[in-house]
Amino acid sequence: MTAMTTLPIPDETSAPFWEAAREGRFLIQRCPETGLYQWYPRAHSIHAPHATPEWVEASGRGELLSYSVVHRGNTRGDPYTCALVRLEEGVTIFSRVEGIAEGSLRAGLPLAVAFHRLDETISLPIFRPPGDASGSDA
Amino acid sequence: MKHLSGKTAIVGAYESPRRDAPRVHPFALQMECILGALDDAGLALTDVDGLCAASGDWAEGGGTMDVIELAEYIGIQPTYVNSTDVGGCSYILQAGQAAAAIATGLAEVVVISYAACPRWWPLSTPSFDPFVFPAGPGQYEIPYAPTLISTYGLFARRHMDLYGTTPEQLAQVAVTFRGHAAANPQARLRKPITVDDVLASPVIASPLHRLDCCVVTDGGGALVMTSRERARDLKRRPVYLAGYGAAVARTQNSQIPDDLSTPAALSGPRAFAMAGMTPADIDVAQIYDAFTITPMLALEDLGFCGRGESGPFVAAGNLAADGGSLPTNTDGGGLSSNHPGKRGIFTLIESVRQLRGDAPGIQVPDAKVALAHGLGGTFCSAATAILAV
Repeated sequence: MTAMTTLPIPDETSAPFWEAAREGRFLIQRCPETGLYQWYPRAHSIHAPHATPEWVEASGRGELLSYSVVHRGNTRGDPYTCALVRLEEGVTIFSRVEGIAEGSLRAGLPLAVAFHRLDETISLPIFRPPGDASGSDA
Repeated sequence: MKHLSGKTAIVGAYESPRRDAPRVHPFALQMECILGALDDAGLALTDVDGLCAASGDWAEGGGTMDVIELAEYIGIQPTYVNSTDVGGCSYILQAGQAAAAIATGLAEVVVISYAACPRWWPLSTPSFDPFVFPAGPGQYEIPYAPTLISTYGLFARRHMDLYGTTPEQLAQVAVTFRGHAAANPQARLRKPITVDDVLASPVIASPLHRLDCCVVTDGGGALVMTSRERARDLKRRPVYLAGYGAAVARTQNSQIPDDLSTPAALSGPRAFAMAGMTPADIDVAQIYDAFTITPMLALEDLGFCGRGESGPFVAAGNLAADGGSLPTNTDGGGLSSNHPGKRGIFTLIESVRQLRGDAPGIQVPDAKVALAHGLGGTFCSAATAILAV
């Protein structure tokens, strides 16, 4: 893994997300009025702007929607794969994909969430092939 | 917005010939450009009562109150200012808003100016733009270290998967614009290239190769706008703002629409409606080309081809100045001529030069209607201008 050195700056809204991530659980938000999911997390529902979204644990399963392998740029180490992942719940999130060789990356590949522990407070969700838990160190 | 069509004109334009400006502060480069554009118009700094700038980002020299800093530096006290920063197309958006300001009497002579010096500006200078700052929405993306190019890579890869677009079709965009740059003595890169050259260049962020990416130059440019009435008395042939549209959409990668539509799908139709025109009326186009995928999505959103059809459209040679249906980026564009960071102003400047018949390189004969289109960030915003003589 190329080092991920920029830590997120959590806030009141995101605190439950990062707390759950520390325990290896991936939360997304659901609108209490419409039942629709949303990503990224906000203090309000984008489906019903006066409603406060509720946190729910996501399946952690999804599929690869698009990807780009960074060979030059930010990286001071090995190439890494930036990806859009479509979760089973229907929302798209931006993350990294690990454990798949560049030549084997294809849209539609099944993925499952895993976590990288960056420090005592932050465990960052990434995605790997299902059943391959080798990258999870949360 | 129809009542605004043709009410204002660009009466002066200047592009700095510099591509390297070592240790030159961007404000000094802006002053060169502002005086150049005013000289072109036959106006003086004392005539200027409006200033538009977006100079607060990395390598642009200013901070959060950039337009005040710039006004002070150049030595004017404008009564109309606009420092709306929507990325690379800011200056096209500002041209539309300047037109409204002039038409309603808020200002009479407006300067729109830009310069940046990324080739020497310290990399360590802090930035709070949404592509680097890990707070708020960015806390869910920036820790993964996305690069600007990798986000364009996400667009390009999905376009290939959805529509069958090929690396060769992407490469053809760079090849075509390099061919145009060959005739522009100011262009950074002028040696013709082939599709094979593009595909053989190193992958920066897949599927984009080095030659799928714009050059990085220092540089700047400026424009002068005024009313239709005042424009008639000035030195150069007025270039009228016939149509204008702008829109913003998103900053986060997670919000990229499934079909890859961009805010150009909003800015383009608004500009055409204001001008009372369609894509078929455009004689020459300048379309922001940060990467080869960039103008391809714009061509679809602006209606020059259908959704997903930009690959075959560019491969068929439609963008070529010699015989294409839509001569595009006649100066060589960002891929070959210059790209200090927000090149939207150059799409306006080259459009003006095409319509006045004084382009530095390729000149499209008898061009009467030009389209200048830009985006900001990673298809985060869009602004479209239709200019006419």
